[in-house]
Amino acid sequence: MSSRPHPTAPRLRTRLATPVFAALFVALASAQTTGFPPEQLEFFEKNVRPVLADHCFECHSGAKAKAGLRLDSRQNVLKGSEFRLVVDPQKPEASVLLLAVKHAGGDKVPAMPHEKPKLPDPAVAALEQWLKMGAPWPEDAGGLSGDDPARSHWAYQPVKAEAVPADFRGNPIDWFVGEKLREAGLESAPAADRETLVRRAHLDLTGLPPTADEARAFVTDPRPDAEAWPALVDKLLASPHYGERWARHWMDVARYSDTRGYEAGGRERRFVYSYVYRDWLVRSFNEDMPFDQFTVYQLAADRVVDRDGPDKRHLGAMGFLTLSKNGPTEEVIDDRLDTTFRGFQALTIGCARCHDHKSDPIPTKEYYGLYGVLGNSFEPEEAPVVGEPKSGPEYEAYLKKLAEKQKVVDDFLNPKLAEAAEKFPELANRQAQLLGKLERADRRKLQDLEKVVDKFVADAGMEPDRALILEDRERPAPQAVYIRGNPGRRGDIVPRRFLTVVAGEDTPDFKEGSGRLEMARAIADAKNPLTARVIVNRVWMHLFGEGIVRGVSDFGVAAQKPSHPELLDWLASWFVENGWSIKKLNRLILASETWRQSSSHPRADSYAGVDGDNRLLWRQNRRRMDFEQMRDSMIAVTGQLDRTLGGRCVEILQPPYSNRRTVYAFIDRQNLDPTFRNFDFSNPQQHTGQRPVTSIPMQGLFSLNSPFVQDKAKKLADLPPVRGAADDRARAAALHRAVLTRDAGPRDLELAEAFVRDFRAGGGPLLKRQTVTEWEYGYGSVDETTGEAAFTAYSHWTGDRWQVGAAFPLKDDPRSYLSAGPNGSSHPGYTDKECSIYRWTAPRDLTIRVSGPVERAAVGKGTGLGLRVAVSGQGIVLKTTLPATEKQKAVTVDKLTVKAGDTVDFVADPLENNNSFDSYNWRPEIADLGGSRDRWSQTAQFSGPADFMNEWEAYAQALLGTNDFLFVD
Amino acid sequence: MFDSHSIPVSRRDLLRRSGMGMGMLGLSALLGRDFADAAADPRNLNPLAAQKPQYRARAKRVIHLFANGGPSQVDTFDHKPALAKYDGQELPGEHLSTERKTGAAFKSPFAFKQRGESGLWISDLFPTVAESADDLCVINSMHANVPNHEPSLMLMNCGAPRVNNVTPSMGSWITYGLGTDNDNLPGFVALCPGGVPIVETQNWRSAFLPGAYQGVHIDTKNTEIDKLIANIENDRLPRAVQRRQVDLIQAMNREHQSRRSADPALEARIQSLELAYRMQLEASDAFDLEQEPDHILDLYGRDLQGRQMLTARRLVERGVRFVQVWHGAGQPWDSHEQIEKNHGRLAGECDRAIGGLLKDLKQRGLLEDTLVVWGGEFGRTPTVELPTPGANSPETKLGRDHNHHGFSMWLAGGGVKGGYRHGSTDEFGFKAVENPVHVHDLHATILHLLGFDHERLTYRYSGRDYRLTDLAGNVVHDLVA
Repeated sequence: MSSRPHPTAPRLRTRLATPVFAALFVALASAQTTGFPPEQLEFFEKNVRPVLADHCFECHSGAKAKAGLRLDSRQNVLKGSEFRLVVDPQKPEASVLLLAVKHAGGDKVPAMPHEKPKLPDPAVAALEQWLKMGAPWPEDAGGLSGDDPARSHWAYQPVKAEAVPADFRGNPIDWFVGEKLREAGLESAPAADRETLVRRAHLDLTGLPPTADEARAFVTDPRPDAEAWPALVDKLLASPHYGERWARHWMDVARYSDTRGYEAGGRERRFVYSYVYRDWLVRSFNEDMPFDQFTVYQLAADRVVDRDGPDKRHLGAMGFLTLSKNGPTEEVIDDRLDTTFRGFQALTIGCARCHDHKSDPIPTKEYYGLYGVLGNSFEPEEAPVVGEPKSGPEYEAYLKKLAEKQKVVDDFLNPKLAEAAEKFPELANRQAQLLGKLERADRRKLQDLEKVVDKFVADAGMEPDRALILEDRERPAPQAVYIRGNPGRRGDIVPRRFLTVVAGEDTPDFKEGSGRLEMARAIADAKNPLTARVIVNRVWMHLFGEGIVRGVSDFGVAAQKPSHPELLDWLASWFVENGWSIKKLNRLILASETWRQSSSHPRADSYAGVDGDNRLLWRQNRRRMDFEQMRDSMIAVTGQLDRTLGGRCVEILQPPYSNRRTVYAFIDRQNLDPTFRNFDFSNPQQHTGQRPVTSIPMQGLFSLNSPFVQDKAKKLADLPPVRGAADDRARAAALHRAVLTRDAGPRDLELAEAFVRDFRAGGGPLLKRQTVTEWEYGYGSVDETTGEAAFTAYSHWTGDRWQVGAAFPLKDDPRSYLSAGPNGSSHPGYTDKECSIYRWTAPRDLTIRVSGPVERAAVGKGTGLGLRVAVSGQGIVLKTTLPATEKQKAVTVDKLTVKAGDTVDFVADPLENNNSFDSYNWRPEIADLGGSRDRWSQTAQFSGPADFMNEWEAYAQALLGTNDFLFVD
Repeated sequence: MFDSHSIPVSRRDLLRRSGMGMGMLGLSALLGRDFADAAADPRNLNPLAAQKPQYRARAKRVIHLFANGGPSQVDTFDHKPALAKYDGQELPGEHLSTERKTGAAFKSPFAFKQRGESGLWISDLFPTVAESADDLCVINSMHANVPNHEPSLMLMNCGAPRVNNVTPSMGSWITYGLGTDNDNLPGFVALCPGGVPIVETQNWRSAFLPGAYQGVHIDTKNTEIDKLIANIENDRLPRAVQRRQVDLIQAMNREHQSRRSADPALEARIQSLELAYRMQLEASDAFDLEQEPDHILDLYGRDLQGRQMLTARRLVERGVRFVQVWHGAGQPWDSHEQIEKNHGRLAGECDRAIGGLLKDLKQRGLLEDTLVVWGGEFGRTPTVELPTPGANSPETKLGRDHNHHGFSMWLAGGGVKGGYRHGSTDEFGFKAVENPVHVHDLHATILHLLGFDHERLTYRYSGRDYRLTDLAGNVVHDLVA
């Protein structure tokens, strides 16, 4: 055995399953080191090795061995498969290996060799005898040659902080980054200006932009940077909004959701108390809770918090585990393990659920050791109250209603339970089991009744804050390996203990309860090689856009190497020495020149060829605002942000729009509104380490058209400094300043003024139209010679149709049934003075084709319809009738040339002053015969009255859609 | 002032196809700088940019017609005369378990005929579809894992049988693999009228793939464009004024960019904003069925299913990569009772529309490289479902239970054999026995037709390379023409 000094992870992967076996293995191992008698080795070479080689090695040797069982070395034979040991040292004759070749294992042990004839009896006998000898194998026969290379992977080594040279005066981060840049022959970017820095710091630390006044205060702060900058950072770290921002980062890690996920049968999906966890996070970040304590609380607060003391609120931390997906037990536990281990350790242990991890030294047996920890934890029936108890008449009224609703359930259930108890007297006191004995129909009914209660509780939001916790089972059950992840197929019982690759081969079995607290402490241990590195890397990613290790939730062997390994270790070690303080770490990083450099670089073009990815940090990374920063900023610049901390979640994407921060948004795991993920929000189904950054048109549509953004634009235009501005220029400047938090330059104002001028001049007529489209609806007569229509637009909109007035039909009025509705439906008035007209106005010079059928429902009745198409300046270009006897007529003008602003009128008159049975559908459509594929379909574009934006709202909306607003330099 | 912003057709088409919006060209021109380097990987700028498959593809796009709820194979595409012989009697042989209790053999109330030159057996439920028999590649030997809707939907859509598994949907995988041929429309569209199927939006989730690849759900019960796609219309500014507003934003963006060193992320947003503007026009155009001539409207039928099939054609025609068309919200094909009445009604609703789609695709030459897939998440038992208290009504009769042991699906176009029948179930249509095709195999084959090795279309997440077919799947080469 080689010896490599390693305090936390001894080398040999013995994977001992039981203490008894451990003792025996030591005996066997020592026999091996002293050497087996030569006659035993000869027996092996002569009688055993050929059997193994001929019949077993095909599947059970090498790295791709079936079930992870390798029979190619003594050590591997003793190690067993991924699921169990195959050699029983106490009763070698009962070893799984022998049962397999003897075909004597029944359902439990597959017959071997697989799908091949049974071994000859002498071969079986030789194997048995060999095992009884203690499995002799020559020492030099491989498999004992030392370390598993995966174990020497950098992330599993202890953190080793290299000292910064004593004569280096600056921020150590800059030394580490500077060294790499020097090696590559690169120089860092110049420092960003104060205007950039104040915005970057605000958005990184609080998720909110500075107000224009805050920005100006910093930019004009007369103190030198060395004083002004730390003062700003300290102010932001002390802001309660800091906790909101950083809690949301952790919510990605914790796959936070306000719903459980899919539930069949309409069962209530909402967690009533998810917000308790979110609020605990906000407060913990604001209070700068040491990260080791933060860790222990989230995994095992139930074991360390006095439930009657003031600390009971920390029970809320356990939402980290309990806000998991619903589903079968093994899925829930897997989700909790995955969240915990990717979250705190950047290890993908879920891979070891069905087989040993392919690249990392995480055996399936160890996965199930941890599985046993959560498998022996349960959610108590009643979640403990951690908030202020409630009282008062409103609450009393709620309780009374709740009791009424619960009574419906009880009235149904109690007689059924009594019935069942009579049938199964032995279960009389065990309600859970009795419930299982109910008829299927009754269980379904019960479910239906209970969901009414659940919905009531969730809707009311009246319960005091409760913590969704886990507790340990009194008597933990032993945990077996589930073979291939199948809970129906049990392998060996495994000890509950921590991962050996992290904690060392000799890490003891957990002793207290489920072992959850011990697991939490193993993670929060300063000696754990992963915990500090992982969180430091996450914080770095949030401040630079990329981690020192990319792929922040996978530090495994197959993952990317750190760009600055020495820096990562130095930071991790500094972090632990400084009390695991996230705020101190923030302060340290923000103080560095590396963080404060510009995101532009004078030599960016040539550097792009050397390090286009900016791995070496020759500039700061420019980042697009994430969804929360964007939405919060849009509200903040209107001055209407609701700054209340904490509380129940709110719907944010439906009007009336909430002004609460996005961290408080209702997150529906099952049906998350697509808007979230269109902006790369984390997927609440599972842990997210780093969000993708994409640019897709759906984002642009949100900027251009969402009623939310339009609403913000309106509020901006209404701000007193905007409304009260003396002239256009001043108004544009005020808006610019409000949205982009800095003063507009001359070019900005030039663009703004040009836009406003154009809006008024060119947009003016358009903005007096009846609808936002090219189509208008009304009535009138048409001059037969000029083709000009006397057009009166309808003034009343029913929500569905245009008509003359609110009354319909108009009594004693020739306009009686005049109207225009969806799908081209309309009706003319009595005479040809009250023709029904659809008017289309050309948006630009065009050559067009006009088409579209006219249909009349009441064939054979009335007098039919007269149809005309009239073009301004050109007269009537088409005239026809739809006789009473016909159902349909195609109205087509193959080619028309129109100028911008020309009108095309589609006129229907009742013929013979008789408009009985004259309901019709005309679905005109205009197609550009020029280069574009543009079409104007009356039916598709049919709409009600326009609520036009004014020029200032449109300008404000444009500002909200600029890269200037949406990116952080 | 509001002059036309029209572009000569060739250049506009170029823009549409190349995944480059006007912002891109405009900006490079402005800065007089070549962006080729920064844009070398089109994914840097646009995650939906069209991609080449791994090898020569037979199909370029997919229309997946999802008969959700589970259509009965022995009443549609799996002709089993023996069932009539045993009608009312216990089936011989092993008892296969399904979700609920079933009883005696239950012959199909629908007549089967041989259709087309190929003589494929198709029942009277699908007379119009049957007219395209010679284009159909019927798989009679499909099988899945369990007889329950949720896991089976997940398996069929996301390649993993659990609702809470973490895998992306097939449409997301394919859009991830191929991007879209039309940047002005989403790459993956799920049409479902009246709401969502069970398991809901998870059926078209992108999971760990970026949100750009998630299916855009469109409720085809709506006919107004602004109710079809979120934020697709602006009701506060006339289009011409909005164009001016977009120009203002882009002018400010160019100013912004000119003060900074080159950055593909800024460029990407300039482009995607331009695409968003274009999408408004393109989407309303795509969904405007009124543009179709009467004979086409009549071919599909002027009803809900007709509308959605026609919409599907208009979408793929415009370059949408994957269109999934659901029969309806919930699980409409789940005929536990009254198979004759219920299947009769359901097929009556969609036969003409699906048949119309096949013919229309063919006459346009689109069927050649458009793969059409029809089927449910599983099939139904050849035996009659028995009344189970609490599960169905006591009067339950003449319906069929879920059946994952054997069911039928068909493919058409996209490089599959026409007039071809693959595999078979036992003589009663219960279990796939000859050349069974698992859902993973179907996925592997679909990816193969699209030019992908299903084992190599992967995405690294959480320490491993994920793929649609998990650890299984064999391409069924017999299906390929």
